[in-house]
Amino acid sequence: MAETATLDAVAAQVAALLGGSDVTLRDPTGSDLVFDGDAIPRPLPSADPPVDCWAVDGGQALLADARCLQVVVARAATVRFRHARTEIEDPGTITAHLLGIDPGIDLNLLRDRAEWDAVALAVDAAEPGALVLVDGDLVPDWRAPASLVPDLIATAQARQVTLVAVTKHSSLARGRAPLVGVLERAAEATLGPRTTWWAPIANLGDGKIEVVVARLDPDARFAFRIDLAGHQAHDPAAVLGQLAAVSDDAAFPGYPYPLSVADRVAACPGWLRHELRTQLDELLRAAGVDEDARERAFADRHRFLERGGAMA
Amino acid sequence: MSMSELAPTRGRLFGKNVLEATFRAAPDEDLFLGELLVGIDGATGRRYLFRVVDVTYGTEHREPGWAERVAGTLLADDTRDDAGAHRLYESDQRTYRVASCRCLGYLTPPDEAGGQLFRKPKSLPTQFSRVVSPEPADFDFLRSRMGDLPVGWLRSGETVVDFEVGIPGETLASHVGIFATTGMGKSNLMMVLAGGAMRANGRYGLLLVDPHGEYRKSLPRHPWAADRLRTYAARSLPNTSALRLSLGELAVDDLRTAYDWSRPQEEALFELERFYSGPSRPGLSWLADFARLDDLPGFRDVELASRIALNTLQVVHRRARRIVELPCIATDAHVSVGGAVLADLESGRVVLVDVSGLGSTEELLVASFLTRTILDRWSAAYLDDPELHERLPVISIVLEEAQRVLSSAADRDANVFPRLAREGRKFKVGLTAITQQPKLLDDELLSQFNTFFVLGLADEKDRNILRSSAKQDLSALGPEIQTLMPGECLVASLAAPFAIPARIHLYDDLCRATPPAPQPRPTDAPATAAIFD
Repeated sequence: MAETATLDAVAAQVAALLGGSDVTLRDPTGSDLVFDGDAIPRPLPSADPPVDCWAVDGGQALLADARCLQVVVARAATVRFRHARTEIEDPGTITAHLLGIDPGIDLNLLRDRAEWDAVALAVDAAEPGALVLVDGDLVPDWRAPASLVPDLIATAQARQVTLVAVTKHSSLARGRAPLVGVLERAAEATLGPRTTWWAPIANLGDGKIEVVVARLDPDARFAFRIDLAGHQAHDPAAVLGQLAAVSDDAAFPGYPYPLSVADRVAACPGWLRHELRTQLDELLRAAGVDEDARERAFADRHRFLERGGAMA
Repeated sequence: MSMSELAPTRGRLFGKNVLEATFRAAPDEDLFLGELLVGIDGATGRRYLFRVVDVTYGTEHREPGWAERVAGTLLADDTRDDAGAHRLYESDQRTYRVASCRCLGYLTPPDEAGGQLFRKPKSLPTQFSRVVSPEPADFDFLRSRMGDLPVGWLRSGETVVDFEVGIPGETLASHVGIFATTGMGKSNLMMVLAGGAMRANGRYGLLLVDPHGEYRKSLPRHPWAADRLRTYAARSLPNTSALRLSLGELAVDDLRTAYDWSRPQEEALFELERFYSGPSRPGLSWLADFARLDDLPGFRDVELASRIALNTLQVVHRRARRIVELPCIATDAHVSVGGAVLADLESGRVVLVDVSGLGSTEELLVASFLTRTILDRWSAAYLDDPELHERLPVISIVLEEAQRVLSSAADRDANVFPRLAREGRKFKVGLTAITQQPKLLDDELLSQFNTFFVLGLADEKDRNILRSSAKQDLSALGPEIQTLMPGECLVASLAAPFAIPARIHLYDDLCRATPPAPQPRPTDAPATAAIFD
């Protein structure tokens, strides 16, 4: 412990890991990925945009935090994008939850649940040939029912819909080095700096989910882990080509535009949080909780102490 | 459904205060600096009149650097000759424009007779009110304030509105400033004003001192010029009367206005005036005798008892000779156009004095003399014969490069122009000062000017001095003044409730559109005369 307690020592360790010779693919989060891909970047053929495209993303906000008790809200937004226009922007229903009573429930689980419900609705509503985009991967929270994703994939398959999950910041690794970064460097060396590419990495769920890494635009700052399932999951190049065709927005080259819209719609901006907190305060007052009790329960003591320190 | 309800929405009001407004518009909404727009307050029925003073970009995206990132991506595409590789999906929903406006006032809802009043802004329009383009009726309240000297059309941004803008001729007496850099249309504006004065049937007289001879050919083209224009020229020119000023009518103060004199030189002038003056030598008649002197040192030693330094006397002598030798100067006291010019102005004519060929100082000498003569005549009538004064027309004396005589350095005691600026209004004599450099004008004198025509001015100092002196608030209009095109102007006067944006008529168009002057009424036929007899 003493040997690694300095920044110099940690930096040396990181340098060794990034430059290590270990090429084993792994997921440190302990998922059930089967690494059967060659992880070699190859050019991504272009394709037309999907006939129909849906995107789902979740949003959340902490309204009141007493540490032992927390009031949170969550929602999942759904967007339908066709003919280069957003046809549907559904911010989703805001659901409120009290955390701290049941230790098995946390905000991630609540948001996850809302998102998967929205994905199921999108799959049901999508046209054959559609892509349904999800923010994250196709691995649900461990506490979710085991049948959740297999059932969803079966429905998607039946409706000729492809599920596409995009992870902005992946934990996949080669050896101990971040896999996506390693592939970005390798692709630039072998394919050139302004190319779109993809690389097969793994499968999941008895081969029903293909996991790849892809760079969707020549000007993309980053490549992403992408999970594919359903109708065209086993033709990743075709699906990724369609995905790339809606990832050419000038604001975020390489990130699917419908997902960026869903992200914006799902977010709980400052004005909404303020409104919800005011509502909560009113409801607590109506329930007989006086102002002093409310203040002492939910005051942000950190901020108070920081302010006091600054004044001192 | 009223016209307003049908009018396309240009934006929605969202912020600011009683005097200012900001509204959001579509990203492709073409908004112009200076554009006039109307905010319709559905709750009160008021129509708020706004002037756009700035337009900026807005975006739904709150991440820092979002817009720069998009521009960077598109620029990189351009650099690679790959324009279109990226697009901005739904840019109409992600981007917009924000217009900053000055609230000019509001129109009250129509009363039972359909009348509307214009009031200065004192209340906040309902938030998110619709912003639309104005209707012609929105400017009806201005109609009675635009006076009888039309100058152009109302301008909203780059759009010309079918509404004629002008000034009341009476306001010529409270002084007019025309401010613009070269090529912005000062001369055209002046000719348009002169055309208006010609058509005013003798209500207004205009004295135009023209140093460049630029008006001599154009003003006579006006259909009413035959009867309403008189032209005098300092040199022999066709269709002009000779401009001849008698030395006896000129005064030392005219010399002091026209030339820069050092203190010793001024004392020499007074000494010479004392030496020569007498009943037989009125005004500057003595200048002829002095100019003829050959033995200046002897004159100095004997007649002036060496009270003046020789080199000082030599300077005065040189100038005296030059003045006496001017073709427009007569030594004969009976030869002068002063009386004729007064008569023309009293009958409400436009008098053009072409001094092209004279130097700048001689031009000022002429202008100073004529101005002093007019001011004396009108002030004498005001003091001694109020009935006559009542009948006299309002006069405006137009002077180019006015900073020469209205700067803070100008000799206030001797200079007739500051006196005109301070006192002329009550005598119905005003100054129309034309200058490219208003910053050189004396602040106090500029504050006497009640009407400003502001054309394009590039210099910020020039704009600033006008902002602080104008009778309307020009504080937010710096960018608009900076971007005025030739022929575009702002008219700030006491008559209008705000600075009116206008596009000046082209003088040639005005001449074409002006009907001929009415023929003099014919004498009655003998038979008819007999009946009346």
